[in-house]
Amino acid sequence: MTKILVVADIKQGELKGSTAELLSKAGSLGTEKAVVAIGSNLSGLVPDLVNAGSDTQYIADDPGLELFSAGPYAACVAEAARQFAADLVWFGFSESGKAAAPRVAARLGAACATEITEVDISGESIAIVRPAIANKVVQRVKVNTGQLVAVIRAGAFEATEGNSGTENVVQLSPPEPDLKAVIKELVSDASGEIDLADADIVVSVGRGAKDQAGVDLVKDLATDLNAGFGSSRAMVDGGLMAHNKQVGQTGKIVAPSLYVAVGISGAIQHLAGMNGSKVILAVNKDPEAPIFNVTDYGIVGDLFDVMPILREEIKKVRA
Amino acid sequence: MKILTTVKKVVDVELTIRVQDGSIVEDGLQYLINAWDENAVEAAVQLKENNNAETTLVSIGGGDNTDMIRKCYAMGIEKGIHVEDPALDKADSSVYAKVLKKVFELGAYDLILTGKQAQDTDNGQAGIMLAEYLELPCVSNVVNIEVMDDSHVKVSRLGDAGTEILEVELPAVITVSDSINEPRLPQMRGIMMAKKKPIETMDLSALGISVEEVGGDTPTSEIVEFMASQTRAAGQKFEGDAADITAKVVDLLANEANVI
Repeated sequence: MTKILVVADIKQGELKGSTAELLSKAGSLGTEKAVVAIGSNLSGLVPDLVNAGSDTQYIADDPGLELFSAGPYAACVAEAARQFAADLVWFGFSESGKAAAPRVAARLGAACATEITEVDISGESIAIVRPAIANKVVQRVKVNTGQLVAVIRAGAFEATEGNSGTENVVQLSPPEPDLKAVIKELVSDASGEIDLADADIVVSVGRGAKDQAGVDLVKDLATDLNAGFGSSRAMVDGGLMAHNKQVGQTGKIVAPSLYVAVGISGAIQHLAGMNGSKVILAVNKDPEAPIFNVTDYGIVGDLFDVMPILREEIKKVRA
Repeated sequence: MKILTTVKKVVDVELTIRVQDGSIVEDGLQYLINAWDENAVEAAVQLKENNNAETTLVSIGGGDNTDMIRKCYAMGIEKGIHVEDPALDKADSSVYAKVLKKVFELGAYDLILTGKQAQDTDNGQAGIMLAEYLELPCVSNVVNIEVMDDSHVKVSRLGDAGTEILEVELPAVITVSDSINEPRLPQMRGIMMAKKKPIETMDLSALGISVEEVGGDTPTSEIVEFMASQTRAAGQKFEGDAADITAKVVDLLANEANVI
């Protein structure tokens, strides 16, 4: 039987939703399912890992693994993959996953694919589907090695109910630290803010907002909706928004239930980062803006007029 | 410090890309330097200017890469190597990484700079795999590089929890984000000088490596088919009185899409 090892997505000690999504998909394919969790102080996470749908839990729990370091992290994943004899190793979509997956593949001699959206397993053969060229085309890729390390694109798989697994914890010995690329400091993203990758609704601001006052106007809508607050590249380059807020190929790829693009014209690099969203709303004063080619609902208007009305109307329907 | 920058020629992603019978239609396509590699070239040239580095670029495949390599020369790169071999037609990231490994070993470089991914594949693998094959440290998605001394650099990368600051021992592989810099426009003097500079073109045998050694015949994966991207149909667009259309859209969000 095919064996899938899912790399647990853990942030600030919490198991993130992508882990259950990937394990649900593995379950629907009828495979054996294990998870590998890497970090510090993980003992409390085991019930969550079981609930997410894993039947074996490889745990690398060590104070030295508190901060992400691609080499040791990849070593843990590769070791779990060897012990489990995994045919597929799946990372959820994250910068850590993108950094570690090619290392794991190189160590295992496996094939590697990033941003995959679908997988076909028939007998021994594995094929995957993934976007390329800024989402302008889709590739079908055949795996020649019988083993694949993949990063799953955000939102590609859905979590299903009733996928709970069984507890079978295997402790991994802590890896050697990377003495040649030493993490000295983590400058955390502003705490208390909603993580774009997890948010059910994302509101993003673009050049149309002009200045800080415009940004604040759009941020108010994000706050009302309890949404993640993102940005186009232009606002990051202009210094009005932080790097970690950028949605797009450079930055975060998001797939929320609702994506609201305010004052964003829709460069392809931005579209490639959000066009997996379930519903897209755009507000832009240019009726010809490319963003309207991908939106479900478009409001042609000046955001400075529209924002206060939009907030008021949303408050009304939510009351 | 000797810097090797890898540069790939890719399809211009701003143009329309059509797919027919499982392949990309070549007609009407244009090719240019991978945007993220251009950031790597700029980073290399800045290190040359500020820290007396020597800069070499290597490009694999792409056919006639003369214009692209000359552009990099005009930006300030000093030496260019182009590896072209029909045996690399099926190359995946792992094959590219093995060819780059050989190039690295012939040059005794201190630092390899590359874009975080190539725009034609969006794989983001070759640089990281290269580091694994060479057993060198690697940091990806880097937005800042500072030289500490002859054998160390301090880099910042955008990670999941924030900006990670690392001290890295050289030699090392660094893949860069486009947030690292704004590539310069080549100036006329540089463009004129670039025309006179030679490009060292070689095939695998000239490089001293066999197709088997790089896995050219047996890539770990291969693209079997291209398909058109499922484009989202443009939905309803409302123009007119801001209050009216906004109220209408909110009603649709609540009662048709059920998302608020």
